[in-house]
Amino acid sequence: MKKEYFESDIGESYVKAVLSSGLKIFVLEKPQYNSSYAIFGTKYGSIDTCFSVNGEETKVPEGIAHFLEHKLFESEDGDAFTKYAATGAYANAFTSFDKTCYLFSCTNKFYENLDILLSFVQSPYFTEATVQKEQGIIGQEIRMYDDSPGWRVMFNMLMAMYKNHPVRIDIAGTVESIAQINADLLYKCYNTFYNPANMFICIAGNVDTERVLKQIKNAIKPSSPLEIIRINDEEPEEIENSYIEQKLAVAQPLFCFGYKEPIKNPERSVKERICSAILMELIAGDTSPLYKRLIDMGLINDEFSSEYFNGFGYSTVIFEGESSNPKKVAEEIKAEVERLKRDGIDKKLFSAIRCGMYGNAIRLFDSVESIAMQMVDCAMTESGLFDEIKYLKAVTADDVYKRLSLLDNDKTVLSVINPISSEE
Amino acid sequence: MSEKLINLADGAEGLFIKTNRFNTTLISFNFFLPLKKETVADYALLPFILTSCSKKYPDFSRLNYKLSRLYGARLDSSAEKYGDYQLLKMTISVINDRFSLDGESLINNAVDMLLRLIFEPNTENGTFLETDLNREKRKAIEHIKGELSEKRIYAKNRLIEEIYNGETYGIPKCGTVEDVEKITGESLYKAWENMLKTAFIRVHVVGSAVPAGFFESISEKFSSIQRNNITDCKASLPTPEREKVHNVEERIDVKQGKLCLGFSSRLYGNDDISLPLMIMTDIFGGGPYSRLFSNVREKMSLCYYCSASTTRQKGLVTVESGIETENAQKAEKEILNQLEIIRKGEFSDFEYESSIKSISESLSSYNDSQNSLDTWYTLKVNNEKIYSPDDIGERIKTITREDIVSAAKGIKLNTVYKLLPRGDK
Repeated sequence: MKKEYFESDIGESYVKAVLSSGLKIFVLEKPQYNSSYAIFGTKYGSIDTCFSVNGEETKVPEGIAHFLEHKLFESEDGDAFTKYAATGAYANAFTSFDKTCYLFSCTNKFYENLDILLSFVQSPYFTEATVQKEQGIIGQEIRMYDDSPGWRVMFNMLMAMYKNHPVRIDIAGTVESIAQINADLLYKCYNTFYNPANMFICIAGNVDTERVLKQIKNAIKPSSPLEIIRINDEEPEEIENSYIEQKLAVAQPLFCFGYKEPIKNPERSVKERICSAILMELIAGDTSPLYKRLIDMGLINDEFSSEYFNGFGYSTVIFEGESSNPKKVAEEIKAEVERLKRDGIDKKLFSAIRCGMYGNAIRLFDSVESIAMQMVDCAMTESGLFDEIKYLKAVTADDVYKRLSLLDNDKTVLSVINPISSEE
Repeated sequence: MSEKLINLADGAEGLFIKTNRFNTTLISFNFFLPLKKETVADYALLPFILTSCSKKYPDFSRLNYKLSRLYGARLDSSAEKYGDYQLLKMTISVINDRFSLDGESLINNAVDMLLRLIFEPNTENGTFLETDLNREKRKAIEHIKGELSEKRIYAKNRLIEEIYNGETYGIPKCGTVEDVEKITGESLYKAWENMLKTAFIRVHVVGSAVPAGFFESISEKFSSIQRNNITDCKASLPTPEREKVHNVEERIDVKQGKLCLGFSSRLYGNDDISLPLMIMTDIFGGGPYSRLFSNVREKMSLCYYCSASTTRQKGLVTVESGIETENAQKAEKEILNQLEIIRKGEFSDFEYESSIKSISESLSSYNDSQNSLDTWYTLKVNNEKIYSPDDIGERIKTITREDIVSAAKGIKLNTVYKLLPRGDK
C-alpha cells in the first residue's frame, strides 16, 4: 500500500492511499463531528457504452451503468438497504455521466456500515428474473424524468450540441435500450468497470484512518488490473443544432444555453476548471453587469444559474433559468462574451469573485458530505483536495481571459421548454 | 454544543448555539407573524426585498459585490408557513476571521450588513422604491407560477389547498399571483413596520462566539420601536376532521400521475405531544424499511415513490406517491391497508427499531450542519423549553409500540388528491 499525507494551512489534512490492486482511498478525519460519510465509487457512467478490454471491443445498451447500480443493492443473502436499516445508517447510490457511487452516512457503527458497503459492492448477483423486474421499475423512473422540465431542458441541449459523444443520451437510457439488458451483459460490465484499479473509496468524518485502511485492505478481493479503453466516435467541434424546443406542462419558459468548448485532450485540469468557473461569474454571475441588466430588463429571476459541465470527452459552459424571452437572454450573453473579448476583464471584479470562491472552498470543509464528494472529484481527475485553494491564490485575470477564446458564439445551443398553450 | 437564551426586547429573543466545529458563523433573524389572506403576500415579499438592497446598498449588484469581498458571505431569505403563522427568515453566514487574508474582520462586516438590511431599507417617505418593488414582485409572481414545473411540489400544495379550503393553513405561503400584484410601496412599508412591531422574533447565532456587542445592538434598535400586539406563534389550530373523505382529481399534460393523501391527527403542537405521531409516520412511510416503501413500492411495484411526512404544528400526515393511472385505485387501497396494519400493531420489531435508529441518527447529524441547527431551533419555538436534537434523541427512545398504535388509530383520512395525465383511463 502506497500512502501519502496532505496538510493545508486552513487546518485540515487527509491521507491518500493506493492499494496494490490500484484501488484509491481518501480519508479525512473530522474527530469533532458526529457523522461520517463514505463513498465507494467506480469510474463508470452512462457515457461508457463502448469499450475495449485486452483488445476485445464491447458495445452495451444505453443506460446499463445506471441499471447495474440498481441491481447491485441486491445480493444473494438479501438487499443492502435491509442491512443498513439494522444499523440506522442512511444509504443511497447514484449514477452520473462518468461515475457510479454507493454511499452511506452515519453517526454510529461506522465500521459495521463500511463492511456492508465493501461487501455488497463486491458481490454482484444478477438473475434473469431480477433483471426483468428492474426493467419495469426503471421504465417508470425514465418516464418520471420525462415529466421534469429542468431535466429535459438540459438533455435536449446536450442532444443538440453533441453529434456522437454518448453524453447526449439520458443517464437511465430509454425503455427500449434497457429492454436489451440481461444478466450476462451486467456481469460483463461489472467485471470490467468494478475492477479495484478503476475504483475509489472516499471517507470523511469521525473515523480512524489507520483502522479504515486496514479494514479496506482486508476486504478488497484480489484481482489483477485491467486496461480499459473507452471507445467513442470522434466528436466534431461543430454543434448539431443551435436551437431545440419542447412543450411541457409549465407556466413559463425554461431555458438552457450552452457553449460547446473545443477540447484537445479528454479531461479538464483543476486550473482549467477554476478559470472557467471564474469566467462564468464574470460573464453572468450575480456581481456582473450583465446579470444586473438581465434582472432589470425582467428577463431572468433567482432561478438563473451557471455550470461548467465537463467530463471525459465533453466540456460545456452552461447558463440556465426561467425567462419570458429565452432568445433575448441568449443574445445578451453572446453580446457580453464579445464585449469581454474586446474590452478585457474588469480586474476589480475578478479579484472579488476570486475572493468569494476562496471563501467557498474553505466553507466546503464544514460538511462531511461535501468533502467526500470533493474527494470523488479528486479520484476522478487525479487531483488533490487542497488544489482548488492553492490555485485560487495563484490564478490571474490573464489566465481567465485566455479561457474566453474557447467560447465561440457560433458553437452555442439554446434549449427551451415552452408551456403547452390551452388550445392544444 | 450548548445553548444560551437572551431576552432582547418584548417578544424578541436571542439564542446563541455554541459549537466549535465549523469554519463559519451563521446568524439568522426569524420573524413569526399571523398568516392572513390580506397580509400574506406583503409579508412574504419582505425577506426578499430587504435582502436585495438597503439605504447603504441601494443596488443589489453592489450588495452582491460586497458579499463576494467578504469571502463569499451568503445572504439567504425565505418565507414559509409555520402552522397558522408566517415565518420570515433572513440569514447571513460568513467564514471565520482567521481565514481572512487581509486581516479585515469578516464577521463584524457581515453583522453590520445584516442589521442595515433589516432595519434601514431603501425607502423614502414611507414607501419602498418603485424599481425595487417591481423587481421583487415580478420575481415573486414567477416563483409562484414556477411551482407548476415541479409536479411533486405542485401536487402537495394542491392537497393542502383542498384539505384547508377556506381555512388559514390553506393560504399559499407567498399568497396568490393576484395578492402579489396588489402590493404597493406603501402597503409593503406598513408590513415592514408591523413586522418590527408585532412579530415574535428569534435571532440565532450558530458558531463559536457571539460577535462582540451583537445582541446589545439589536436591543438598542428595538428600544426605539413600540413593540405591541406581539404574535403568539403557539396557537395553531389542528387539522379539521371530515365525516366524509374529500376526493379531488385533476388532469394535466404529464406522462405520470401523482397520488396524495392527507390525514388529520389530534397529536398536534409541540414535541411533548407530537413525537409518537412523528415515529408512527416514519414507520408508515419514512426510510426504505417503512411499510410504504418496502410493500407498496418494492414488493407490489404500485408506485415509483411513496412516502409519508408529518406537519407537527397542524397534526397533519401526508402521503405522496408517483403512480401510473391504471394503478391509482390499487395504490390508494394498499396505502390505507398498510396504515391498518400499523393500527393493528402488526408491524415488526425490525421496522420499529429501524425507525427509532434512523431518526436517532438523523437527529445526531443535525449537530454537524449549521443550517440544520438553525432550522431545528427555529421550528422548535413552540416548545415550552428549548430541546436540542440530542434531547429529542433521548426522548424518542421512550416511545413504545403502544404509543405508535395509538397514534395510528388516531389519524383520520381527510382528502385524497390525484393529479393524472390527460387522456388516461
